[in-house]
Amino acid sequence: MTKRTTTHATFVIEREYPHPPAKVFAAFADPKKKARWFGGPDDWEKSNHQLDFRVGGKESISGGPAGGTVHAYNAEIWDIVDNERIVLAYEMHLDAARISVSLATTEIKPTATGTRLIYTEQGVYLDGYDDAGQREEGTQQLFGQLDAFLNT
Amino acid sequence: MTTIAHATIVMERTYAASPKRVFDAWSNIEARKRWSAPADNIRIEYEAADFREGGKDVSRCIEPGNADYVATVIYIDIRADQRIVFAEDVVHGNTRVSSALISVELTPKDAETHLALTMQIASFDGAGMEQGYQFGWNAALDNLAKEFAQ
Repeated sequence: MTKRTTTHATFVIEREYPHPPAKVFAAFADPKKKARWFGGPDDWEKSNHQLDFRVGGKESISGGPAGGTVHAYNAEIWDIVDNERIVLAYEMHLDAARISVSLATTEIKPTATGTRLIYTEQGVYLDGYDDAGQREEGTQQLFGQLDAFLNT
Repeated sequence: MTTIAHATIVMERTYAASPKRVFDAWSNIEARKRWSAPADNIRIEYEAADFREGGKDVSRCIEPGNADYVATVIYIDIRADQRIVFAEDVVHGNTRVSSALISVELTPKDAETHLALTMQIASFDGAGMEQGYQFGWNAALDNLAKEFAQ
């Protein structure tokens, strides 16, 4: 029997943008916009990003270095409040192995100068493949790509 | 303006049963109906039950004088006799009140089984659902022990 382990962790990423909430929300809700920033590094081979942005809708993307391990992301959207909140659960696979399951909430709040974004990821990391530190680093990279997308 | 309260709750129990028997009490819908109701005046009814990876349960928690809580569960990771990971969404009346990621780990310990239940909760109604999870699962895990008492 395979030795099963779990590690639970939570991390939070916060951003301030000089843009209205609707613009920040659209970067998550509009499949064409989200595809511009949501994915692995530029030199990875990637599948098409798929996003059916509605409660119960699914999102997926996979990719990896040429000839290397395939990282696959599969999500289901649980809750949407327009311009305010997105809740989804997602699982990650490395090739055939499921390495984590996460609950991710994105809160978008108006401020005097634009928008505050609070992304909270509660995750369970399975069987020693990944940990919260690596995931937070990868997610920070994604948010760097979001910053670049929003600020151009 | 909505605000989300995030919390993690861990509960542990040791049951006088093998991991297989404890796992079966989760996978078997009739067993789960018996032990998952947290109080005598609360009834759980299932509108859908599909215990497999990718499968969905829809259950209704019915308490006299209170609007029903409807929980939708999607099973994401199931390892027989070892682990269950599922995501859950709860609607109270017409309001979505929480989402949660829940993992159940079973570890054999001599002739018994150690169960660790970890609930990672995002509540949309302040601290109300965190308290609801505390109350509901504490009672359910205590009830579960009765499945093995004989």
